Amino acid sequence: MTLLSIDNLAVDFVRDGQVVSHALRGIDLSLDDGSALGVVGETGCGKTLTGLSTLRMLPPGARATGRVTFDGRDVLTLPEAELRNLRGKEISMVFQSPGTSFNPVFTIGSQLEQVARRHLGLRGAAKRDVVVETLRKVELPDPERTMRFYPHELSGGMLQRAMIAMAILCRPRLLIADEPTTALDVSIAEQILRLLRSLQQEYGFAVFFISHDLDLVGDFCDRIAVLYAGRVVETGTARELLERPRHPYTKALLEALPRHAQPGAMLPAVPGNVPTGLDDPVGCSFAERCPLAVADCTARRPLLAPIEERRSVACFRWEET
Amino acid sequence: MLHWLGRRLLTSFVTLFGITTITFLLARVIPSDPAAVYIGPLARPAEIARVTKQLGLDRPLPVQYVKYLRALLRGDWGTSLATKEPVLGGIVHRLPATLELVLLAMLIAVVIGIPLGVLTARRAGRASDAGVRVGSVIGISMPVFWLGLLLQAIFSGKLGWLPATSRLSLETSVLQPIPHHTGFAVIDALVSGDWSGLRDAGEHVVLPAATLAAYPLGLITRMTRASMLDVLNQDYIRTARTFGLSERLIQWRLALRNALPATLTVAGLSFAYLLTGTFFVELVYDWPGIGQFGTNALLNQDYPVIMGITLFGAIGFLSINLAVDILQARLDPRVRLE
Amino acid sequence: MTAVTVATPSLAPSTGVRRVFRQLRRDPTGMLGATICTVFLVTAALAPLLAPNAAQGRGATDVGARELAPGWAHLFGTDHLGRDLLSRVLLGSRPALGSAAAVVALAVLIGVPIGLVAGFRGGLLGEALMRVTDLFLSFPPLLLAMVIAALLGPTLLHAAIALAISWWPWYARLTRSVTQSLRREPFIDAARVFGVREPVILIRHVLRNAATPILVQATIDGGTVILAIGSLSFLGLGAQPPTPDWGLMVADGRTTVLTEWWIATFPGLAIFVVALGLNLLGDALRDILDPRSGR
Repeated sequence: MTLLSIDNLAVDFVRDGQVVSHALRGIDLSLDDGSALGVVGETGCGKTLTGLSTLRMLPPGARATGRVTFDGRDVLTLPEAELRNLRGKEISMVFQSPGTSFNPVFTIGSQLEQVARRHLGLRGAAKRDVVVETLRKVELPDPERTMRFYPHELSGGMLQRAMIAMAILCRPRLLIADEPTTALDVSIAEQILRLLRSLQQEYGFAVFFISHDLDLVGDFCDRIAVLYAGRVVETGTARELLERPRHPYTKALLEALPRHAQPGAMLPAVPGNVPTGLDDPVGCSFAERCPLAVADCTARRPLLAPIEERRSVACFRWEET
Repeated sequence: MLHWLGRRLLTSFVTLFGITTITFLLARVIPSDPAAVYIGPLARPAEIARVTKQLGLDRPLPVQYVKYLRALLRGDWGTSLATKEPVLGGIVHRLPATLELVLLAMLIAVVIGIPLGVLTARRAGRASDAGVRVGSVIGISMPVFWLGLLLQAIFSGKLGWLPATSRLSLETSVLQPIPHHTGFAVIDALVSGDWSGLRDAGEHVVLPAATLAAYPLGLITRMTRASMLDVLNQDYIRTARTFGLSERLIQWRLALRNALPATLTVAGLSFAYLLTGTFFVELVYDWPGIGQFGTNALLNQDYPVIMGITLFGAIGFLSINLAVDILQARLDPRVRLE
Repeated sequence: MTAVTVATPSLAPSTGVRRVFRQLRRDPTGMLGATICTVFLVTAALAPLLAPNAAQGRGATDVGARELAPGWAHLFGTDHLGRDLLSRVLLGSRPALGSAAAVVALAVLIGVPIGLVAGFRGGLLGEALMRVTDLFLSFPPLLLAMVIAALLGPTLLHAAIALAISWWPWYARLTRSVTQSLRREPFIDAARVFGVREPVILIRHVLRNAATPILVQATIDGGTVILAIGSLSFLGLGAQPPTPDWGLMVADGRTTVLTEWWIATFPGLAIFVVALGLNLLGDALRDILDPRSGR
């Protein structure tokens, strides 16, 4: 069952009536109930923006076109009131830096209670119990006591658990995880990932996992989508994509991973720079950095097209990759 | 928290000590003849010599200082040269009148200023925002005495809506005095059910309080707005929006709570400004409070009163700062660590 | 002691004056402030030439023309002693400018060196200096100045001195915090390594970088100082007759404000406009030189 379907989503940034940046161009993605989709790419490729678009949490000056269908409803055209009911309840989000994502002047518990009150309509003891139970679920020690702490009194790992608790409080159907472990120590990060996976199995929500780390995403997710310069360049199951990447960019990303490095040799890096938001080359955005580029690549744009069942690539030369 | 409070009180105490020292030095060191500070500038040499001996002004400074401190603690702050009343008693007697103005002005400034700041932060960049911003700059640029005179001229002179001066009309104070409970005319009248007295007191307090409120109102509006703008950009507000919390909750509770410390600091400073502002407002409106007491003392060179009011003002300022700090600690849990 | 948001020192290399002007031009309220300030300066410079009756401006009386309402002969009317109010107000720009400049200059002269030493040396000396500074700050702002002015004897000069005495702590504090941040900069160490002596380091390197925030603060303060001087004169603690001090003129007109309203209104308006101009300009400068200060 398709839970989320993003069709031709484009996001531009506008100032004083002029478009100053094309941040996302023609994104096509889909996510099934209960499954995990990894959205991978470099900084600035638009992966966070795509995640935010599913909630219509667009930054000021952003203008979105296209369709984002969640459970049969187009998020981009929902009335404000319905949108606010959706956020935090059916779709929720875990942010990258839990330290700044919590309000410093309220206790952790009261912040979760605010969400519980809003979406579950709970008051008093019932409200508190739900929060305590959820905090227990995310493996926070002594939840009754912990909930009375302020954000600055907790460690990064504990805060991230609390963040996850807030996200699963109302039993969402979709959880957007925006680089949830990037700011954490490696050992803590592993614990958090394990926690997320067990919660996913127990609660059955789908996960939209944003990351720049292919390995991480390969472990956690069922399917992966690779973004480059605001466009999807490759999608497929995690296993297939990592074993046999079909887009030169995906291949380059894989080769640049430390575990693939040859001892003594330099880590391969992709030469050149990511195009800026204003560039809109006629041909493939990756062409100038691509080892397989030919004349055709700069003449016309390769569209994301299926090459197998549930496997798509945006490249003319995918067979040679 | 207690530990922090203890340290803070200790600092205040030390500052108090410093204040008394400075006040002492001002009275003894600056005037060429400190005895004149006590008798008045018209005294004759024989009297000056006598008083100098009597007050121990020929003794070394530290000895005088100790004597001064002991007198202060005893409650003996000197005697007014002009009215012959004990300085401390005179101040306390006039305190309610001044407090009535100051508290009302603060109330106006806070009750209007904070919401105005929140609302304009939300509408940042639009016409109403620009209007309020200009308004608040105007508020802090106006000389308080001039504003007072202006309001007098317009509302009393031209329009005749409100009385120009005094705290109560002659009829009320002489023929139908308001029963004394707190010393605050408005509250006393309310509590006693004295409706005509209430009306009279109310009419008289409006202009002075409004005059006094202009500066803090401008300051508080500006600060709240700036602070809110800062806070609304923070990650945790984005989190709240992502979780679908209502805009009203976000603005008035989640954001404001973080913006308040800055406003509170400014409000505390405003209070200090109000303390000196009363000098001017009470002069213009002939309001019988500490400000008027002080202004007359300054002009008549009634030094005991001048020094007494200075000390009193500084102590008041100190207490306000302490109260503000305590409130800050309550508002922002991170402060308590410092 | 509760802290006040003072112009946060920017550690950017001194921004070109031209760049500041360019950015200023884009800010309408800032330009308004700059215009007012320029008019003020020009008026102060050319006052005797601009005034219809400079002699009266300085104090010459004309008992036959007492308390005339504003009209063609006297645009602002005349005061209790028959003097042309417009001339008085125009000439009043001089004592206003002079005393305000004196206050700021004195406050800077006292406060900045103290702040420099306290910030650079730190340690016990720094702490002690700061304690003294804080002590002066523990008095309600104008009160200390009023008392000192009263004790010294009411003249404009004494009022300026009194204000400077209550103002310098702000500059000491500001300079100290700037100096403290600058002290950690590598170029200070570099200077030391090259054998540059401390006082030279302080003046040439630290002061040059600290100049900008100090200047911005001085401008922002300008408005408050003008108000303060006017206030002291209004109470009779500052300028004495026949000086055409604006505050003094408002005091003159106080008792007759309900009938001869112009005598108090126009001088007060002058104070207001100049203070407004300085505040607007100061705000705009602060926004340009340190955008973090929350517009």
